Amino acid sequence: MAAALASRFSRGRSLIGSLSNAFSGLMNSSNGIMNGNILSQQQQRTFIQMGTTLKVVDNSGAKEVKCIQSLKANKKGARLGDIIVGSVKEAIPKGKVKKGKVVYGVVVRAAMQKGRVDGSQVKFDDNAIVVVGIKEKKKKKPEENKKNKVEFNQPTGTRVFGPVPHEMRNKKQLKILALAQHMV
Amino acid sequence: MATSFNRLPQALHMIARNPTQSSKKLGFSTFLSCAPSMDSSFSRLSLNHSGSKFGFSLDTRVRKEFIVRAEDNAEAEPEEAAVDGIVDTEGNVEEVVEVGEAKPMRKPRIKLGDVMGILNKKAIEVSEKVRPVPEIRTGDIVDIKLEVPENRRRLSIYKGIVMSRQNAGIHTTIRIRRIIAGIGVEIVFPIYSPNIKEIKVMSHRKVRRARLYYLRDKLPRLSTFK
Repeated sequence: MAAALASRFSRGRSLIGSLSNAFSGLMNSSNGIMNGNILSQQQQRTFIQMGTTLKVVDNSGAKEVKCIQSLKANKKGARLGDIIVGSVKEAIPKGKVKKGKVVYGVVVRAAMQKGRVDGSQVKFDDNAIVVVGIKEKKKKKPEENKKNKVEFNQPTGTRVFGPVPHEMRNKKQLKILALAQHMV
Repeated sequence: MATSFNRLPQALHMIARNPTQSSKKLGFSTFLSCAPSMDSSFSRLSLNHSGSKFGFSLDTRVRKEFIVRAEDNAEAEPEEAAVDGIVDTEGNVEEVVEVGEAKPMRKPRIKLGDVMGILNKKAIEVSEKVRPVPEIRTGDIVDIKLEVPENRRRLSIYKGIVMSRQNAGIHTTIRIRRIIAGIGVEIVFPIYSPNIKEIKVMSHRKVRRARLYYLRDKLPRLSTFK
């Protein structure tokens, strides 16, 4: 009898509850789908790898470079501050670097976030390099092959455009830091 | 039996709200019929509680009658535990309540799940003592003065709009966006970091989101701050 009384009392409430549940269920399902889409729409920026086109932000002559190889040991690709080998796809008519040349560049801006030791992270809106060396096609003499590690410190251009992160200091790219307009 | 026992307080409330009750006697008989024979001590206490609600319709005489009747039930079925030998159940209830208040409050035990929260709070307190952190919300335009270990001569200044705030205890971070030298830059700062020397809220822009990721696709003009 108590059970019957209880059910009679709460029947009205439960009806309304079920209606609102149905509504909220619909809303939740549609929102859930939207959330899934939004998550997939949120860009997951990754490394710079073979095929990535990067802007060139110095006055060496090249305008756009396509990455051929990342010289980092990491098999996934290059990040902010790493050296890459690239092929010049677009260049200004009269410049040091011509179209079709293979160049070495250091990544100064990457769309993928780079973590710093103090817990902060930095990311830029685009990918950009500074040319630090041109690969020569001619055959090297045997003595020169002894020097395995070639330091890419000296940028080919004389000016650097756009902001440059502090990571260059860790990568010993002090000349680039000196030429930079703005340091992040 | 368990179901009827659980429904008991509800049943009591039902009857309490029902104004069209025929007679007191009827009400009491329903009480007694509902009361399960198992745990009579609880039923006695709850009945007494409801009895007090019925103050306006009860006489004290009737109440005592009712108590005597309940006690008869208890004595008819002997139980080993929880039979306090209550003569005056009303008085006992009052006594129990008074004793509870006189005893000092027992310190709540720290559960394992709370440990991280407590540690985070303590760490935040320590950080706040050194440098208080203002209230920062999404849409604020802030000015952050950061001490960079490489550039120890002067503090770096970062200005921008707060795109998001991720709360994670001591590693609560804010994401600042700004157009620097023509390129959009987003930096994530942990606000309780000792490297940050100053955070100041310059102004506020009205936003209707918690995360302003749409600013990435918008014109650079919207992310430029002098």
